Amino acid sequence: MDPRIERGLLQTRRHFLGRSATGIGAAALSSLLTADANAASPSGEDLGVLGKPHFAPKAKRIIYLFMSGAPSQLDMYDYKPKMNELFDTELPDSIRMGQRLTTMTSGQKRFPIAPSMFKFSQHGKNGTWISELLPHTATIVDDMAVIKTIHTEAINHDPAITYIQTGAQIPGRPSMGAWLSYGLGSMNQDLPSFVVLTSSWSAKRDAQALYERLWGAGFLPSRHAGVALRSAGDPVLYLSNPPGVSAEIRRKMLDAVATLNQKEFELIHDPEITARIAQYEMAYRMQTSVPELSDVSQESEHTLNMYGPDVRKPGTFAANCLLARRLAERDVRFVQVFIRGWDQHGNLPNDIRAQCGDVDQACAALVTDLKQRGMLEDTLVVWGGEFGRTIYCQGGLTKTNYGRDHHPRCFTVWMAGGGVKPGISYGETDDFSYNIVDKPIHIHDLNATILHCLGINHERLTYRFQGRDFRLTDVHGNVVKDILL
Amino acid sequence: MRIVRQWLLFTIAYFVVLPAFADDSAVVDYNRDIRPILSDVCYKCHGPDEGERQADLRVDIQAAAFAERDGNPAIVAGKSDASHLYLRLTADDPDERMPPADSGKELTPAQIDLFKRWIDQGATWGEHWSFVKPVRGELPTSQFDDRAKNAIDRFIFAKLEEAGLSPNAEASKERLIRRVTFDLTGLPPTLEEVDAFLADDSPEAYERVVDRLFESTRYGEHRTRYWLDVARYGDTHGLHLDNERSIWPYRDWVINAFNNNMPFDQFTVEQLAGDLLPNATMEQQIATGFNRCNVTTSEGGSIAEEYLVRYAVDRVETTATAWMGLTAGCAVCHDHKFDPLTQKEFYQLFSYFYSLTENAMDGNALLPPPVLKVASDEQKQQQQNLNSQLAAIEQQISEAIAKVEYVEPEATEDVATGRRDFVWIDDDLPANANAQGDSPWKFVAAEEGQVYGGQRSSTRTATGLSQHFFTDAKPGLKIGQDDVLFAYVYLDEKNPPQEIMLQFNDGSWEHRAIWGEDLIEWGTNGQASRLPMGELPPAGQWARLEVSAAKVGLKPGTVLNGWAFTQFDGTVYWDHAGVNTMTPQGDEAFESFAVWKQIQRTTENGLPKPLQEILKLEEDKVTEPQTKQLVSHFVEHVYTSTREVFEPLHKQLADTKKQLDDLDKSIPATLVMADMPDRRQAHLLIRGEYDKQGDPVESGVPAVFPSLPDGAPANRLALARWLVDPAHPLTARVTVNRFWQQFFGVGIVKTTEDFGSQGEWPSHPKLLDWLAVEFVESGWDVKQMLKWMVMSATYRQSTEVTPIALQKDPLNRLLARGPRFRMDAEMIRDNALFAGGLLVEQIGGKSVRPYQPVGLWEAVGYSGSNTVRFTQDHGDALYRRSMYTFWKRTAPPPSMQIFDAPSREYCVVRRERTNTPKAALALMNDVQFVEAARNLAQRMMKSGESIEARLDFGFRVSTARTPDESERRVLLGIYNSVLHDYQQDMAAATSLVSVGESKRDESLDVAELAAWTIVANAILNLDETVTKG
Repeated sequence: MDPRIERGLLQTRRHFLGRSATGIGAAALSSLLTADANAASPSGEDLGVLGKPHFAPKAKRIIYLFMSGAPSQLDMYDYKPKMNELFDTELPDSIRMGQRLTTMTSGQKRFPIAPSMFKFSQHGKNGTWISELLPHTATIVDDMAVIKTIHTEAINHDPAITYIQTGAQIPGRPSMGAWLSYGLGSMNQDLPSFVVLTSSWSAKRDAQALYERLWGAGFLPSRHAGVALRSAGDPVLYLSNPPGVSAEIRRKMLDAVATLNQKEFELIHDPEITARIAQYEMAYRMQTSVPELSDVSQESEHTLNMYGPDVRKPGTFAANCLLARRLAERDVRFVQVFIRGWDQHGNLPNDIRAQCGDVDQACAALVTDLKQRGMLEDTLVVWGGEFGRTIYCQGGLTKTNYGRDHHPRCFTVWMAGGGVKPGISYGETDDFSYNIVDKPIHIHDLNATILHCLGINHERLTYRFQGRDFRLTDVHGNVVKDILL
Repeated sequence: MRIVRQWLLFTIAYFVVLPAFADDSAVVDYNRDIRPILSDVCYKCHGPDEGERQADLRVDIQAAAFAERDGNPAIVAGKSDASHLYLRLTADDPDERMPPADSGKELTPAQIDLFKRWIDQGATWGEHWSFVKPVRGELPTSQFDDRAKNAIDRFIFAKLEEAGLSPNAEASKERLIRRVTFDLTGLPPTLEEVDAFLADDSPEAYERVVDRLFESTRYGEHRTRYWLDVARYGDTHGLHLDNERSIWPYRDWVINAFNNNMPFDQFTVEQLAGDLLPNATMEQQIATGFNRCNVTTSEGGSIAEEYLVRYAVDRVETTATAWMGLTAGCAVCHDHKFDPLTQKEFYQLFSYFYSLTENAMDGNALLPPPVLKVASDEQKQQQQNLNSQLAAIEQQISEAIAKVEYVEPEATEDVATGRRDFVWIDDDLPANANAQGDSPWKFVAAEEGQVYGGQRSSTRTATGLSQHFFTDAKPGLKIGQDDVLFAYVYLDEKNPPQEIMLQFNDGSWEHRAIWGEDLIEWGTNGQASRLPMGELPPAGQWARLEVSAAKVGLKPGTVLNGWAFTQFDGTVYWDHAGVNTMTPQGDEAFESFAVWKQIQRTTENGLPKPLQEILKLEEDKVTEPQTKQLVSHFVEHVYTSTREVFEPLHKQLADTKKQLDDLDKSIPATLVMADMPDRRQAHLLIRGEYDKQGDPVESGVPAVFPSLPDGAPANRLALARWLVDPAHPLTARVTVNRFWQQFFGVGIVKTTEDFGSQGEWPSHPKLLDWLAVEFVESGWDVKQMLKWMVMSATYRQSTEVTPIALQKDPLNRLLARGPRFRMDAEMIRDNALFAGGLLVEQIGGKSVRPYQPVGLWEAVGYSGSNTVRFTQDHGDALYRRSMYTFWKRTAPPPSMQIFDAPSREYCVVRRERTNTPKAALALMNDVQFVEAARNLAQRMMKSGESIEARLDFGFRVSTARTPDESERRVLLGIYNSVLHDYQQDMAAATSLVSVGESKRDESLDVAELAAWTIVANAILNLDETVTKG
């Protein structure tokens, strides 16, 4: 910052500090911190509305790998060997129990069983079953908690993804990352606390949409919304100076703006003006820090190779996983990486092969990379989609080709690091991966557990809107202690 | 960042001093002091929600709170020590103490003391203030009364006096005209307007400005912009595919309503129920777009019943928020926990919106029904003209028919079978044919060659293989059973060909017949693809070639769209080609009514239904008038001899119809409300779940409010009229409060969206009521209400903050100073365009797509969506007011979103105002702001000769005031410094001044322009520029 402005700000700060000291005591102050804005520590760190977590967190940050479109648990994690004998036989009514189906298959005459065509084998110390689609992920099972019993109520993509991201099926609620930013603030001064990365994908082009509300702030102040880092153009919108404007010229312009704003402040004394001066300074710093962040030229060959060849193509899932690690290193609280292309109603085998090709190596590399850097302990990695897929086939069925419809009643999510028990497989579904037989975990429970890892009691991170105290988990959610260290 | 946080800290800290702004007296006010605590802490278990109620105790209604309860009354007036409510609040035993430890709620000692004092003072009860009809109170007095301009000031000043504050002086004229111009029009004043105001010393000068602004059409645009957030207006469906939808005529309606100062009660009724008004006009129906703005889906697999419920719920929530400040959505799943709204009452409201004719799935369509065509007056006139033309032509046709006396020619054999030659290719190609060939088709008349019939034949002279052909003819040639294709051919005697070929296309060309040598190698000899027909016909005369359709592989039912004439060497004439058939053909003319009739009887025909019915009758059952009907049709459409008469008329008819059709297509349409004739039965939905229907529910209004008049219809019209009944306690309050918020930044009730128990106590309850009563009594006159506000001394104050005011009232709720806050997204961009002289002012119309960074829609969009790719507009569309920017709801315009515009997925009545680095980056670097800066720089350079004059111009355009010496020094300092940089680097200068699609002024020095662009960029980034103050 320009020394003149710095000095000016300091003066005004003292000026007002002096005055305010007579007004209020610290106790009154802390009672208000939950009211409206975020707290700040003596060092100036943004501590969020909570000031500090409700209890000591195991995870400082989270990287959430979101498989949009709903990946098939049956072909990746939820091994159902008995299904092979039942190829093309009818799904028993005793299993389906008249559950509601999407209108895409509710009119189907038959519900023939489509066993996974992929081979499963056991990996890691406790012999977790993993499909051949995921050879790299199989090498990190000792770090993963594979949860097979996540469930939801929504049966279509838009409501379901909105639900798992915001706790409600209809637009309007804050996303998980926004809640974290609101609750815990930011751990760094040069980057946003919630970053979103969207990835290219290899399965058919026709993929379910994403919506900005998935990382939106809902009714929380909009600064808590996720910042989408883009792989083409400016990584952050409007980051680059226009052509012909050098950093030096920008600096001159900013100094002039700051000086005039400061003068306005001295006349009007509106604190918003001082805030604006500071925001311009942060913007200027971001112009340096963000390009540095996306510049992977300093990464070792070893690291790059670990993520696989895609890592060199900006915008791929592999490149985004590496970027997620770099963001985590810079203490960005919540990085969410989206990859679309999992909505495989038909031609599932081909498409899932392509998608696993996108994510398998990168997921394993990310966990390994974090571990090697000693960051896995306090970084929670979550992998999952918005619901699961059906054992019964949608469309034509052969041994090597089939499709699967939406299935909300069970799906697989895995977590690693950040206080989650490593090397466990949790929950059981029936032989058809249709119903949960042991240890169901609702998506509200999952979200409550994620918040717990970050030191937040999900029932106590609330925001008063329209007279009601809202929270991410609505009026539900139980922390799944069984999967935590 | 550090500094910001600390500032925030003090902003909050000051907030603590708030008791100063509540009535600072020892008397505890139930509504202000007690009810909010009861609501927040106790209602959850002891409030309106029967399902959650504990110990059969409720404290939200007076009778229950004071009830005997077997000698354990919760409240005994005057006796806190006998009041169990108080005793439980202070109990030492943790099991006894309220609220329970696990509730997460706790009372401070000060709050507990409030209860004690309130009970001991007599526990005066009152209805929740906002549910009681407002009355106009006495105007309070204060020492500042001589400075009051109107009633508003009397209320404001009295509170200031109580708080030990005094009102600021009036703002400088420059700041004042800028403030009021932005507030009433969303745009800044021009320098001429500023100068005129500065020069006008009369006492009415300000009022004259205000009146002028009210007359500007920008006024309606600006008011509409606020309302679009309430209406959740968007240009896409909002869910799943998020395709485009057309509802912008509704936006135009709102603009007109504000500009015409439509009374707010009418504004309400037309939007909620315009379609149900007697003889509803087009405009009244367009208005109902308000409740078609909700998000809709067409996602595959969705369940219709679920979405019909969601849409109706959204409409209730939106309507309740917009008109009543009521959080009705809290009663979807259970009784409202804080306000007297039962779940059943929610579904009574729901019932009003549950009978639309809409489909649950929007079909991803631009215009999911019900929709309405909205023709302009000019278009309506055009339609009328064309319709009269149409009638005139039809009249001519019937007259022409009447003139024809049809006589059946002598019978031929044809009458029995209807088989005849149908000539497809004669003087010209068939309709719509796409002519192709080695060289162009050549038609010749008898003077130039040989003609078999009609006026012309087609001819070709070739060396080796050559052909002419066509495809895509429409209507095609229909092939029936046993049909024979034919063509007449004339081979030149002097230059005969070696081989000729006919070839037919039914989608494939593999149907050939050849005569003469076998020199053309296509197809397989002897098969349908190359069928030998024998010797060439004799040269020097016309010969008829015939080919059995079946033998060249054309089955009955086939339709030909193409035909080829091919030859090897020689000169050949072709004429009069077609099919011998019994099948009726497209445009066929007939000599004989009897033959025609026979064909129509025996085959499927495309005749109008009544004629088909007649033809189905036994011959002897056909009456005279029926025969006449058939003959008329024959004469008009089929008879060879009258074709000359009718063809031109038909052409006129078709042309006119096409014009009407084109016109119709150019007329926009918009989504509107319409109810089914039989209303859909609403039910209470258990836990709000669409498939868990409880008892049936009829439409109605919540009991806490005045009831509907007797005989009110069970439809939206009754609901709308009820909302604007002067007896309704909320509508006027909520509305004036929202207006107040627009001018002062914060409403008198800060929680604009919640006037219920959990809402914030008004800063000036009596002022709010005074304004509400005034609003209703004025006939809901919006302009007059806004004029009260902007004419007040309160509004006109300077924004300077004194230390004491900052300490006592940091958030300026008491208004000891004028309103000052960052402008909304649209105003910031519009201001920049205006300063750059770029703004294109054109009221209304479809949304436009100005600049936005690449890839934003693609990053999230569904690949099959018609908004997955953003295509930027050019020219004027880049510079329209921001309220016309295309609003894709799953990825809203970034330059709006960054400045806190809502996504428009749901109703928003209060925007955030954040202050972030993203906003700084946008203002510095977004192409539209850089382009605006360059255009402002051009205006600055042309405004004067000296750099001081140029600077002053740009500064005044942006802030309305002249910079002082120190400000000049700073800005001219960077000008000189940056000018030097650019003179050293002309390439950089050229790049900068080339940003944006508007043409740069080539007459200006590039380095200077670049340097001024940086100065203008700085000015447009000033806090003062983006702030209304």
